[in-house]
Amino acid sequence: MDEPRPLVSLRGVSVGYSEPVLRGVDLTIYSGDLIGMAGPNGSGKTTLFRAILGLLPILSGSLERDCLLSDFGYVPQSTSLDPNFPLTAGEVVEMGSYGRLRPYQPMPVEEKEKTKKSLDQVGLSHLAAKSFFSLSGGQRQRILIARALLVNPKILILDEPLSGVDQESRKAITELLIMLNGEGRLTVFFSSHDLEMVRSVAGKILRVDKGKTWWEKEGVSSL
Amino acid sequence: MVGERRSFVLIDAKMQTILEILNPSFLLFPALLGSSVLGLVCPLVGAYLILRRTVFLGLTLPQVAGAGVAFAFWLHQLGVLSTLGGSERTVGMVGSLLFTFLGMGFLGYLEQRGRGLAEGRLAAAYSLAGALTILFIVFNPAGEVEILSLLKGEVIALSGTEIKILLGVFGSVLTGMLLFRREFLLASFDRDLAFLLKGGNLLWDVMLYLLAGLSIAIGVIMAGPLLIFGFLVLPPLAARPLVRGMTSFLTLSSLLGVLMAFFGFYFSVRLDLPLGPTDVTLGCGIVFLAYGVSRVATKIGAALLILTLVAMSVTGCGTTTPTAPLPEAKTLKNETLWLAKVKNSTGLSLLLPATNPLRSLAEMAGKISSDYRQSVMDLLRDHLRTELEQKGFRIILPEERDSRFPPLSSEANGAAVVAREGKLSGLIFVSEIWRWEASSRQFVRVLIDFKIIRVDDGVVLWERRVQRAVPTPSATHVGEAYMDAVKIVAHDLFA
Repeated sequence: MDEPRPLVSLRGVSVGYSEPVLRGVDLTIYSGDLIGMAGPNGSGKTTLFRAILGLLPILSGSLERDCLLSDFGYVPQSTSLDPNFPLTAGEVVEMGSYGRLRPYQPMPVEEKEKTKKSLDQVGLSHLAAKSFFSLSGGQRQRILIARALLVNPKILILDEPLSGVDQESRKAITELLIMLNGEGRLTVFFSSHDLEMVRSVAGKILRVDKGKTWWEKEGVSSL
Repeated sequence: MVGERRSFVLIDAKMQTILEILNPSFLLFPALLGSSVLGLVCPLVGAYLILRRTVFLGLTLPQVAGAGVAFAFWLHQLGVLSTLGGSERTVGMVGSLLFTFLGMGFLGYLEQRGRGLAEGRLAAAYSLAGALTILFIVFNPAGEVEILSLLKGEVIALSGTEIKILLGVFGSVLTGMLLFRREFLLASFDRDLAFLLKGGNLLWDVMLYLLAGLSIAIGVIMAGPLLIFGFLVLPPLAARPLVRGMTSFLTLSSLLGVLMAFFGFYFSVRLDLPLGPTDVTLGCGIVFLAYGVSRVATKIGAALLILTLVAMSVTGCGTTTPTAPLPEAKTLKNETLWLAKVKNSTGLSLLLPATNPLRSLAEMAGKISSDYRQSVMDLLRDHLRTELEQKGFRIILPEERDSRFPPLSSEANGAAVVAREGKLSGLIFVSEIWRWEASSRQFVRVLIDFKIIRVDDGVVLWERRVQRAVPTPSATHVGEAYMDAVKIVAHDLFA
C-alpha cells in the first residue's frame, strides 16, 4: 500500500530573516495530523509557520506543498492585530470568505450562513455584533479560529492559540482543536511555549529551541 | 411672547438660508455640491490612512500637491506649459497630479528601502513641500494673489466644468472604494491573511494609494490643502469612537463628512466666513463632540451627534439680525428721505478702475471732470437712490443743501446729530461699508450696514446688515466684479 502524500514537506530547510533562525528543519505534515510545536518564546515557531505559509522565503532546503496557499487556515496571535480597526467579531469572521468573493461581488446569502455556522462551531455566535477588540483574549482567539474555519481549510495553523488566554478559554480552545481534528479530520498544526499543554493535546510533538527542531519521540533531527 | 416671536423669526431666517442653499438654482449650489462630494468621498480614503496609521501621509501629500500647483503656475508664467490652454486650474491640476504621484512614488521607494523613520521622512517631505510652494510663488513674477487664492482652494469659485471634473474624479474614487472595500480592509488589517487569500498585497496597496493620490491631487486644486486634509481626517476621527464595526465606521465617516461640508457651507454663507477654515473648525468641533457623546452608548451617541449638529444650525449659533421689511413710503407720510453719502470704513480706497464705462459716460456728459474716479460708494449710492425711488420714496441728497455734507456713520445717534447740525430734518438713509474685497473676480465679500434714522431723535426705523459673499460670475476683471456686486447688493437689499 502506497504511503499517503504529505500535505506539506520540508527537507533541510533553513528559515529566518537576514540570519537563519532555524536550520535544517525536516518536517512532514500528513492529512489528519494533530501536531503541536513547543518551544520557548523567540525560538522561531512563528518564523517556521510564516515559511510554511509562504509569507517568508526559505533560506535553503526544499519546501513542498500539496495544496494551495488558500487551503491554509491561519490563526495569528490576536495581539498581532491592530486594535485601531473598528471591527465587530462577525466582520472579522467574514474575512475568511473574502478569498471566494470577487471584488465587486455582494456577500451571498450562503456565505453569511457559513459565517454563522463558523461562529456556532466556536460557540460564539451571540458575540457577532460585539467589538472584536473588546472581547477577552480567549474569545478573540476563538473568533480567529472561526475565521480560519470559514476559509474551508485543509490545514489549520495556529500560532500560540493559548497565549494570554484564561484557564476556562484554554480548556475550550484545546477541546475545540481536538474536536476539529477528530470529527472533521482537519489537519491541525499549532504552537505553544507550554510543553505540558502541547503534550496533552497533540498527537505529534515538534520541539523547537536554540535554532534546532526535533520530534519529541525521535530525538533531535537537525542542528 | 416677543421673545418667542423673535425666536421664530430667527429660526425662520435660518431655515430660509438652508432652503436657499439647497435650491439648485442658488448661485452657490454647485459649490455646495462640490463641497459635499468632497465631504462624502474624502473620509472614505482618510479612514484607511488613519487605520493604517499613515495619517501624516494625508497631511504631507496635500502639501506636496500644493507645491505642484505653484510649480505648474511658475512654468506656465515662463511659457513652458502654454500648450495646456488658458485655464489656471487645468495648469494647476497637472502640477498637482504630477507632484502627488511623484511624491507618493518617492516616499514609497524610501519606505521599501526602510531607511530612517517613516514619520521623519513624511515630516521632511512636508517641510520641503511647504518651502518649495513659497519659493515657486516668489519665483513667479505675476499673479501672486491669484496663485494664493487657488492654493487656498476657493471651492465656491468652481465653474460648471470644474464641478463636472470633480464629480467624475470623486465618483470614480467612491466607486473604487466601494468595489474594493473588502480587499482594502484585508490588506490593511491582516496582511498575512490577505496574502493567503488574495495572493498578495501590492496590487491593493497600489490601488488604495492611487485612489488616495487622485483624490488629494484633484481635491487640492479644487478646494485647497487645508480643506482636503480636514475632510480626509476629521470625519473618520469623529466617527471612530462612535462605532463598533467597519461598515458603520465608513458609513458614519462619510455622513459626518457631508454634514461637515453642508453646515460648514451654511455657516460660511450665513456668517460670511471663508469656507475652508470654517469647515475645518467645524470638523474639529465635531471630533470633540463625538468623543463627548461617545460616553453614551455608541448608536445613541452617533444619533446625538448628528441631531446636535442639526439643532445647532437651525436654532442657535449664528447671530444675525432678523430682517424687518423696509417701511412703505406712504407710511412715512411723505417725509423727506435724505440719502447720505456712503461711508467707507474699510481703510481701502475702493476706487473703480479707470476703464469703468460709467465713468466714461459721465465724463462725456460733462457731469464729472476727467480727473475724477468713481468709487464703490458713489456707485452704491446711485443704485440705492434708484431702488428707493422705485419704491416711492422722495429722495434728496444732503449735498443739495450743503455740498460739504460728509458721509454719515451707521451709528444712529451720531448720524442724527450730524444731520441736525447740517439743518436736515425728517429721515436719513445711512450706509457704512465695513468690508469690501474681491476674493477672486468671481466673488466679492461684503459687510455693509444700512439704516433709516429719524433725524429728530436718532430712532432707527429700519436697519439691515448685508454680510455675504456676493457672486459675480460674469465679471471679467475686479472692477466689473465690484460693479456687479454693488448692483446685486442694492437690488437684494429691498427685494
